[in-house]
Amino acid sequence: MNGAEQVAIEARKQDIRSRWLLSAPALIIIFVAAIGPLFVMLLYSFLVKGDYGDVKPWEFSLDGWTSVFFQRDIFDDTLGLADAHVSIIWRSIQLSFFTTILTLILGFPTAYFIATRPPHTREIWVFLVTIPFWTNLLIRTFAMQQVIRNEGLLNNALIWLGIIKSPLQIIYTDTANLLGMTYVYLPLMVLPLYASIEKLDFRLVEAGYDLYATRFQVLRKIVIPLVKPGIIAGSILVFIPSLGAYVIPRVLGGGKNMMLGNLIEMQFGAGRNWPLGAAMSITLMILVMVALIVYVRNASRGGSGHV
Amino acid sequence: MTESRTTAAHGGAIGLHGIKKWFGNFQAVDNVTLDIRPNEFFTLLGPSGCGKTTLLRMIAGFEMPTEGQVLLDGADISGLLPNQRPVNTVFQNYALFPHLTVAENIGFGLKMLGRSKAEITSVVNDMLKLVHLDGRGHNPVTQLSGGQQQRVALARALAPRPKVLLLDEPLSALDLKLRKSMQIELKRLQLETGITFVFVTHDQEEALTMSDRIAVMSAGTVRQVGSPWDIYDRPAERFVADFIGETNFLSADVVSVADNRARVRLSSGAEISASFPADVTPSGSVTVVVRPEHARAGAPTDTSALRGVVHDIVYLGTDTHVHVHLDDGTAFMVRQQNARSGHCGFSKGDTVGIDFSDDVAQILRD
Amino acid sequence: MFRSRFDIKSQPGFGFITLFTFFALYLPIGALVVYSFNDAESLSQWGGFSGRWFVAAWQNSAVQDAAIRSLIIALWAASLATIAALMAALATTRTAPYRGQTLKYAMINQPLMVPEIVTAVALLIVFSRIKVWTGYSGLGYLVLAHTAFCIPFAYLPIRARLESMDLTLERAAADLYASRWQTFRHVTLPLLRPAVIAGFMLAFVISLDDVVITEFVKSGGQDTLPTYMLGQLRRETTPEINAIATVFLALSTVLVVIFFFINRKKQ
Repeated sequence: MNGAEQVAIEARKQDIRSRWLLSAPALIIIFVAAIGPLFVMLLYSFLVKGDYGDVKPWEFSLDGWTSVFFQRDIFDDTLGLADAHVSIIWRSIQLSFFTTILTLILGFPTAYFIATRPPHTREIWVFLVTIPFWTNLLIRTFAMQQVIRNEGLLNNALIWLGIIKSPLQIIYTDTANLLGMTYVYLPLMVLPLYASIEKLDFRLVEAGYDLYATRFQVLRKIVIPLVKPGIIAGSILVFIPSLGAYVIPRVLGGGKNMMLGNLIEMQFGAGRNWPLGAAMSITLMILVMVALIVYVRNASRGGSGHV
Repeated sequence: MTESRTTAAHGGAIGLHGIKKWFGNFQAVDNVTLDIRPNEFFTLLGPSGCGKTTLLRMIAGFEMPTEGQVLLDGADISGLLPNQRPVNTVFQNYALFPHLTVAENIGFGLKMLGRSKAEITSVVNDMLKLVHLDGRGHNPVTQLSGGQQQRVALARALAPRPKVLLLDEPLSALDLKLRKSMQIELKRLQLETGITFVFVTHDQEEALTMSDRIAVMSAGTVRQVGSPWDIYDRPAERFVADFIGETNFLSADVVSVADNRARVRLSSGAEISASFPADVTPSGSVTVVVRPEHARAGAPTDTSALRGVVHDIVYLGTDTHVHVHLDDGTAFMVRQQNARSGHCGFSKGDTVGIDFSDDVAQILRD
Repeated sequence: MFRSRFDIKSQPGFGFITLFTFFALYLPIGALVVYSFNDAESLSQWGGFSGRWFVAAWQNSAVQDAAIRSLIIALWAASLATIAALMAALATTRTAPYRGQTLKYAMINQPLMVPEIVTAVALLIVFSRIKVWTGYSGLGYLVLAHTAFCIPFAYLPIRARLESMDLTLERAAADLYASRWQTFRHVTLPLLRPAVIAGFMLAFVISLDDVVITEFVKSGGQDTLPTYMLGQLRRETTPEINAIATVFLALSTVLVVIFFFINRKKQ
């Protein structure tokens, strides 16, 4: 190793060191106030719950975890399925799935339409989609509440039109959650879809028509396979927040239609079972990871589709 | 597939009658009428922006004429959508579906038409053999070289047995050697399949090599239609003479016209015989064109058609170009095939006389 | 049959669905804004045009309190986040890969990958324990939490700008004897300014808008505007809530418009 190489290596080491130093503040803040607490939460899930909330420090138990899915029968002490928990978790997954489908049904044509407008008009459409996207989640949820309430916009309009006599009970049902999540997360589906469709080479569509494809066949066999990355991205961006929804089911679902997020909150409030809450949170995280893995697998496999 | 391919039934006849096309204020096609015969290799030749691609797209159905009709075998197809016309296109950028394999690309048209899996497989295999790509059916198209992709595009367009095949400058992305071998390939395919080929290019050499007939276009109009020989040897107007190959332009005055030949007097005073386009009766001052390879340069004599001084000699391997300044100032080029010695026999500054035979001069329509 | 053009891009019904989607997207917020000017008490009847709810909200001491707190937290969090993000962006871009870089990148973007409720609950756990140990229950926890999830939002535009920046300008400065700090101050930083401003604005909006984490981390009486609204939604609401929401909406829209224009200028 000659002198010049050694100087280069030293300079590189120095560079790497200074880069670590520069990124230290960000990393420290995130570790202290975002990532670190996750590990603490993991620890708490193995502790014993305290009588008034919080935990009994450093007494360990697996109760937090077993209580996620199981419960002890109060009479004969056998372990059975915690129906309430399981049904809430299952419903959260179902609702998230249907929200993704609904946003896809509405979002794909919208993204496609915008992407096929002339360039100047396109900007305006994108801008119009971006505004709801940046509007506060709470405000949009509130707006939705105003529409589907019993004395809300939708019911008033339907009664005024004579279609129904008394208001439909939409709010405080699962449908309300579905509508709310679809409404709130729709821009999250449209934007990545739009980005994908905009990059599509429409000469391929022309070739499709030249080869006798109908409009529907062109959509199914050419457009959709080539836009798959956007579809996947949009689906993840909707499914994952839906799984962890908290505000929307709290405002629109009422007490009876809890999703996993509300169930978790309950453990830190009236439920007074912090270890259980911690375990449920980690369960939610695991569900999210699983969803991410499934989607990413599909994305990479979707490279060569089939006609 | 064992059926004979050279049946006349395959090729369709295309009629373009009174076609005009405006894009906003820009007129891309100005009153074009063409008849393309069944089974012929027809080329639309012209510089960029002359409207040749627009015409092709109108035959395919991607553009609709503002005025005029597009006919296929006598029937008006102007209102038909592209997927309703038995016409297929080989696109300039190939437009192969990147998410499908070679075989899936080739079979795409047949699949859209709802043919059976067995038929599709059989046709695809035949096509692969036809374009010398057998064994590569399962490859993704993105793995192929430019030349191979071009052949897949060709096979894909031929698989549905269209009546007419449209080719939009398909060879422009290939390097020279590949392009030349593909030209021969295309010609062979056209003869074997009997399908009418409508070929668009700006490369006049390509057009001359492959075509049965050529339509030379400029600024949205057809300037001349004819066989390669017609276009090259009997250009009707200045644009065609200039666009195809190299030409010498000479001013002359008409002396007399008899049958289908005219006698004209050149600026040197010599009189020569010249042909002229069928729809014109030449008189007065005209422009005459002579191809460089039809002229001979030698020692000046009293009977030389033209006289001038050699001002440049360009050696090109197979030929030599001798650039001459004529007595009246015009430039003239003589192309001589090189003898073994490689020397053309002149030096710069020599005075030479130029002659050509009776049948090589042509009067232009202008 | 005569058409002027065969539109290869159009698909039947898509235009209609798009219009319906936009209608559905804007109707609720539109109604919300309209009703914030409603003179009547009830939210379901129109009583004439009036700005009184805006006045009422403005004069509502709880609202004032929450609004001020929101702004303080947002200003602190956005500032700290932008500075940290700027340093992190400088550290992670324009370099050959080295050990730990992917991990670093994942950590910086973590808040985007973990559901908010999970982070909120984890923070609740940690901060409760710290409150017990130190007795401190001021705004510090909120500022810290907000800064953490604002960092990736400030990071992204700055990083994007750095990656697309022309290195030769800085090399030229070095060639002209500028020290690393001088190069940074006089060449890099000015060029980065639009991205830094964009990052700050993004972080600011994100902090202002946050509901879930704030709800779980705050101590009693530490409402921000969103958590105040969340609390109000449980009861009988007057258009006062609409008024607050409309102001919020206006603020977001203005920021989006500014953001759009900054982006346009870059091009």
